Amino acid sequence: MSDSSSHSAGSNLKMGLPIPNSKLGMWLFLGTEIMFFTAFIGSYIVLRMGSQGWPSDPHVTHINVFAGGFNTFVLIVSSYFVVLAHEAMLHKNFDKARKFLWMTTMAGVVFMGVKSFEYYGKITHNILPGQIAENDWQAAEQAMSEFDDAVEETGLQDKKIQLSELQLQIAKASDDKSEAEIKADAEKKEQIQPEIDKLVKKDTELNDEFYSEGVTKEVKADLRSRIISVEDEIYDLDPLQGLNLQIKNRELFANHVKNFKTYVKAEEWDFAGLTQEVNTLKESYPEQASHVHEPHVILYGNIFASTYFLMTGFHAIHVIVGLILFGMVLKQGSNLDETWTDWVENSGLYWHFVDLVWIFLFPLLYIVDFT
Amino acid sequence: MAYRDTAHDDHSHGNVAYIVIFFALMIFTAISIVADVVHIPSAALKTVIVMSVAVAKATCVLLFFMHIKFEGNWKYILLAPTTILAIGLPIALMPDVATSYYIRDVPQKYDYDEFMAVHGDHGEEHSEGDHQEDGHAAEHSHDDADHHEGDADKHHKDSQNPEQGDETSGADATESSVK
Repeated sequence: MSDSSSHSAGSNLKMGLPIPNSKLGMWLFLGTEIMFFTAFIGSYIVLRMGSQGWPSDPHVTHINVFAGGFNTFVLIVSSYFVVLAHEAMLHKNFDKARKFLWMTTMAGVVFMGVKSFEYYGKITHNILPGQIAENDWQAAEQAMSEFDDAVEETGLQDKKIQLSELQLQIAKASDDKSEAEIKADAEKKEQIQPEIDKLVKKDTELNDEFYSEGVTKEVKADLRSRIISVEDEIYDLDPLQGLNLQIKNRELFANHVKNFKTYVKAEEWDFAGLTQEVNTLKESYPEQASHVHEPHVILYGNIFASTYFLMTGFHAIHVIVGLILFGMVLKQGSNLDETWTDWVENSGLYWHFVDLVWIFLFPLLYIVDFT
Repeated sequence: MAYRDTAHDDHSHGNVAYIVIFFALMIFTAISIVADVVHIPSAALKTVIVMSVAVAKATCVLLFFMHIKFEGNWKYILLAPTTILAIGLPIALMPDVATSYYIRDVPQKYDYDEFMAVHGDHGEEHSEGDHQEDGHAAEHSHDDADHHEGDADKHHKDSQNPEQGDETSGADATESSVK
């Protein structure tokens, strides 16, 4: 005990820095974080300066300065609330501190909401690294591969396999069948034949209507579901004929895609022609081709998307971590006491750093122009 | 825990200072947005404005919200190495990527003029006129060359030696820049 009292008398001899260890740890961590983000931001600046061009038209990149500006405001507001929360902790006003921490957390959630909205827009427009066509040929190749996927999604191949398996089964079964059984089968088939014929006729009518001119998307969707149910009915009555019909219908789309690919590979098209072809095909088969994008070309779009998602993505992860840090304080509820003061200060420092990164990301991603 | 009290004594500046900083940050952000919306004719000027604003905002946050202004001298020891490394990294990358005496060989480069003709001006300006020669260099790599023969003057190189058609665009590109 005497040892400790002599210590407080000569406090100049104390080892270490005059700050809590946790704060020192946080600052050291922030030091590494500075390098972490400078690596990304620095590479982005250098890549952008070294690039011949860069997509900067907001209609192309779907970068909205108001969304980014709003998020900047939100983060600054949240940073201010953290400062007030820490101040309240120091004054042992824990209810006030909790109130401000809640407001900080809500601001963080709003930030993430706006960010997801921006991400959603980019994803639906296919502005994703490695997914962007940078010349007409790449746009055509992308359309071809998306149509191929669409054909595969219709399950044409599966239906074909199913058919051949069924044929094999029938052939095998007929070998073992007695004359009486074969006769019974034929009679049964004759009985249901009028029903099948009726359904097939209905199927043909629906298909004719489906492929006739001037049918709206909604009507087509409705017709498609009716066609599917009619074909299912036929399949229940006579699997062989049902499968054949299903394959026939799927092959229509597959053949159109095949024609499209022949058209592309003949290389006698320009971009406008390609767009028109893709759109015609999309309109004729709204469901099957729903995931096919209209061709668009963004020169240097991939490097743009890479850097954009890398920086904003890592920043968003940091925001989520910050929300977890605040959530752990808020979990204390009314039990919050001065033991949490350092925690609030340190997570506040971290939160300010996240704000700091965004302060640089906002102009660099949404505004600047290095031409 | 005596040392902690001395550290916290520094927080004697009240809420008033914080709200001033808060409003300063808001105004700075507004300046950035306005600078983008009003269409400043010089892109360089716009960049300088918004980046200066960003630096000013970062300084405010660091000095006041993160209390750097009121911390002891340990802040220099702690932050100097990371700052030096952070500044050094982009500078070290610069000669490799951002500045070079040679013309970069990327497939996009050869499509640029053609791209601009078809897709119009998307807000980028492009001043280098050193690559009109073969707008289709990238396309050659995709397929055999015989269907290029139609537009002979644009693809003269191809029709001369069609067997080279399926070489990589890189090889084509080197050839044209040597020429």
